[in-house]
Amino acid sequence: MSPLRRFLRTPEAVAGAILLAALIAMALSASLLFPGDPQAITGPALLPPFQDWSLPLGTDRLGRDVLAELFHGARTSLAVGLAAAAAALVVGAVVGTLAGFAGGLVDEVLMRITDAFQTVPSFLLALAFVSVVGPSLGVVVIAIALGTWTGPARVARAEVLSIRERDYVAGARVIGMHPLAIAFREVLPNALPPVLAMSSVIVAAAILTEAALSFLGLGDPNRVTWGGMIAEGRAVLRTAPFLSIVPGIALVLTVLGVYLAGEGIVETTAVRRGLS
Amino acid sequence: MTLLAVSNLTKRYRRGNKTIAAVDDVSFHIDPGETLALAGPSGSGKSTIARLALRLIEPDDGRIDFEGGDFLALSGAALRARRARLQMVFQDPLAAFNPRATVARVLDDPLRIHGIASRGERPRRIAALLERVGLTADLAPRAIHEISGGQRQRVAIARAIATKPSLIVLDEAVSALDVSVRGEILELLLDLQRQEKIAYLFISHDLGVIRSVAHRVILLDAGRIAENGDARTVIDAPQSAIGKALVAAAPRLNRTGP
Repeated sequence: MSPLRRFLRTPEAVAGAILLAALIAMALSASLLFPGDPQAITGPALLPPFQDWSLPLGTDRLGRDVLAELFHGARTSLAVGLAAAAAALVVGAVVGTLAGFAGGLVDEVLMRITDAFQTVPSFLLALAFVSVVGPSLGVVVIAIALGTWTGPARVARAEVLSIRERDYVAGARVIGMHPLAIAFREVLPNALPPVLAMSSVIVAAAILTEAALSFLGLGDPNRVTWGGMIAEGRAVLRTAPFLSIVPGIALVLTVLGVYLAGEGIVETTAVRRGLS
Repeated sequence: MTLLAVSNLTKRYRRGNKTIAAVDDVSFHIDPGETLALAGPSGSGKSTIARLALRLIEPDDGRIDFEGGDFLALSGAALRARRARLQMVFQDPLAAFNPRATVARVLDDPLRIHGIASRGERPRRIAALLERVGLTADLAPRAIHEISGGQRQRVAIARAIATKPSLIVLDEAVSALDVSVRGEILELLLDLQRQEKIAYLFISHDLGVIRSVAHRVILLDAGRIAENGDARTVIDAPQSAIGKALVAAAPRLNRTGP
């Protein structure tokens, strides 16, 4: 049975895939369906949803189209979530591989640095970093990655420690391969599956962290973000709760979709590894 | 001239606060084109000696001279370059290769690392290596896990001879193979030795195999040399206690009587 068909057999994975596909479709079609500035004023302020079908989800305090903001916000969430998770996974895998493979002093130094990052709450780290450097999309990505690379680093190191003792690593040394080539060509690719299994949790956490930063006013001010929309709606929470609820639901569904799809992928590869 | 000379080699391991000598003051030598067998019960230090000789682990004491130079003094790029002359074939042919590798990649690595053939020339060299060990060139694109155990061990031998070594360490290289394949692999090894004058450090617990392929044998017991001499003489009439025990334990094919 093909991996795709096995993936589609679990209902969670299908639900996750549909949610993710919807999110990606939203992000990709944002500038087609809602060309122009999503932060432009398009109608009367605080129009409730389902009143005017040219503005289906109503408008916010300044009269901006909530649906357009939602679509453009999907872009930010997705971009930041994927970029931050990719950065965290790459840095974590490289640091973990070097530490596990080199051992000795290199291992000690790298793991103490990892410990230092892990003892600081990751959200506090992101908050401090953005406050100091200033909010922009790239800074937010780095800030989130700064707090999340330690997990992949530890998992990669543990995996590398067990792979390092295998015969094929000794074989690579016997044929005279350079230690760095052994670490990154022979060991790292085989240590990756459990590290990649963490990716769904990291993407979900990154999306939530970005929303939290934006909620606190530390997101990129030139971009619409769901966290920023929730913060914006907070001032009129009693009179127009939909302004917070709509992006809130979008956020919940996105994180749920990422998580379910990730679990499905892990399940699929686990079965395949178990059979072979 | 001696190819490999090992003198007073010692490797200790600490377990708790007790120190155990896995290899204890072992000396031997191998001449070019010769097969020296290391035999002994499990834990007698056979594989540790092999890994010490290949510098996969470092000894606590002793000296190793290889091709007339101090092998233990080498490090970094000089050691990696020297490794071309001293190769190894492992017991488990599946564990000896990266699980993601293809046959071609396995053979490409030593040719590339030691600059033996240019990129364009390598596919032809790989095909020649495969044919040298009795395989066909169309095996090259296959994944390592797709081919049979006997084919895998032939690929391992092809990888070992790719850099034209003078010595190959065979660590139980035929023990995991079934009997019919074992005979073919031993034939191939003997043929390579005749043609290329390769010396073997042949590690095995199978005295029958040792008697048929090795020139000399060293019997090990608890990290020390118990007996040392011509392979047939030692196996036919062992003098040491461990030698007698090993010979008595070996299964006999030519059993007489009921």
